Amino acid sequence: MANWVPLWLHRLSSPPVFYRFAGAVRPWALGLALLLGGVALYGGLFVAPADYQQGDAYRIIFIHVPSAWMSLFIYGAMAIAAFIGLVWRIKLAETVAMESAPVGAAFTLITLVTGSLWGKPMWGTWWTWDARLTSELVLLFIYLGIVGLYHSFEDRRQGARAASFLVLVGAVNVPIVHFSVNWWNTLHQGSTVRLLGPSHIDASMLWPLLTMMAATKLYYVASLFARVRADFIVAESGKGWVRDLALNTPGNDAA
Amino acid sequence: MTPGSTPAACAALLRRDLTLAWRRRGDIAMPVLYAVIVATLFPFALGPEPALLARIAGGVVLVTVVLAILLSLDNLFRGDIEDGSMELLMLAPQPLALLVGVKILAHWIVSSLPLIVVAPLLASMLKLPAPAMPVLVATLALATPLLCLLGAILVALTAESRRSGMLLALMLLPLCVPVVIFAAGAVAAAQDGLPWVAPVAWLGAGLVLALVLAPLACAAALRIAMDS
Repeated sequence: MANWVPLWLHRLSSPPVFYRFAGAVRPWALGLALLLGGVALYGGLFVAPADYQQGDAYRIIFIHVPSAWMSLFIYGAMAIAAFIGLVWRIKLAETVAMESAPVGAAFTLITLVTGSLWGKPMWGTWWTWDARLTSELVLLFIYLGIVGLYHSFEDRRQGARAASFLVLVGAVNVPIVHFSVNWWNTLHQGSTVRLLGPSHIDASMLWPLLTMMAATKLYYVASLFARVRADFIVAESGKGWVRDLALNTPGNDAA
Repeated sequence: MTPGSTPAACAALLRRDLTLAWRRRGDIAMPVLYAVIVATLFPFALGPEPALLARIAGGVVLVTVVLAILLSLDNLFRGDIEDGSMELLMLAPQPLALLVGVKILAHWIVSSLPLIVVAPLLASMLKLPAPAMPVLVATLALATPLLCLLGAILVALTAESRRSGMLLALMLLPLCVPVVIFAAGAVAAAQDGLPWVAPVAWLGAGLVLALVLAPLACAAALRIAMDS
């Protein structure tokens, strides 16, 4: 087998190469995310039938559930990147971990806000101290702690390493959030979509949900790549490739 | 103990930290004073009705103790980093995790033992029923070292950063949530005459896990923070 895959990955971890790669991928990811998101919203808001029990109010799941998935998925991705960054000291992995945190925090906030908007008509309350809700709130605090720790250091890479360590320490919370619905039977409903086995949800409601899930993943990629590009420009501002980038005419830059 | 051996080094470090704390006895009283003041604010804020106070006494004492520990944690490594003895500890032939563990033990003795002693007094001020009192002390005896160990990791991470006080609270809160849940659950169960062994056992399990892992994590975090 050819060893071009590790070679390509190795080259990709260099900031100028990744900058160009991310610049090429980002518009496609963002465009596809908007397209799929639009299709999913149309499917969820107009095509899917009203729920027999919750009426039209259930439609907020097309925002709420994909955001909740992303809040955990991004933490997982961030933890893997943080581990790689701490062990092999790859600058790209550290940057990816640190720039994932604000995106993850945003999705967690969306989950909490849409959840409380949904909770008011369904449960009659904006907020309750339910295990799922509380652990999601704690997840938001973890994200904010990571962002705060990263920015409290003078030296960016030192801050990235310290915050990466906090990512790994805080990872104990992720399984608690994930399983909280099964472990504590409180107000929040159990999971209805299964990876293995049949889902407890009608196909007409499932496809917009899964499409929105793909859209949020792509949006994460687009947002992350934009953030990483900006971060590299700041971190490498003394390097030659950034100077070339800045001095070139806009139509001729590396992106 | 032969001088220079690992047990001798740990004993010397423990003696040094305790001596340093004893020379500044006023600082030891601070967390206790803080806990007393915060706990007395609750009857003023909520009204002096005994039934209500008895209902919340366990939780109030726990939260007060968590806050007092949070405040005291800030100077766990600060003095050592400022005067350079942390570098010497890192260069010592003994494993850093062990020495850090000894430092955390010294900090627990100085900051948390007085809190455990004063906790029954606070709880009785808040009209906690007598049968729940031993359970409160038992949960505190398990929860305070657990909080010190978890907090020490975060203090080590923020050791070299510019602003750490508020940040420490933000980072410690997610980690201390399970501790508070189990500790308060045990006290509430004892208050209602229900079995309270299970949450205390969970606290014990958490403490054992933290005793093994936290000093290692703390040492790694210190190495990251002191890298530059």
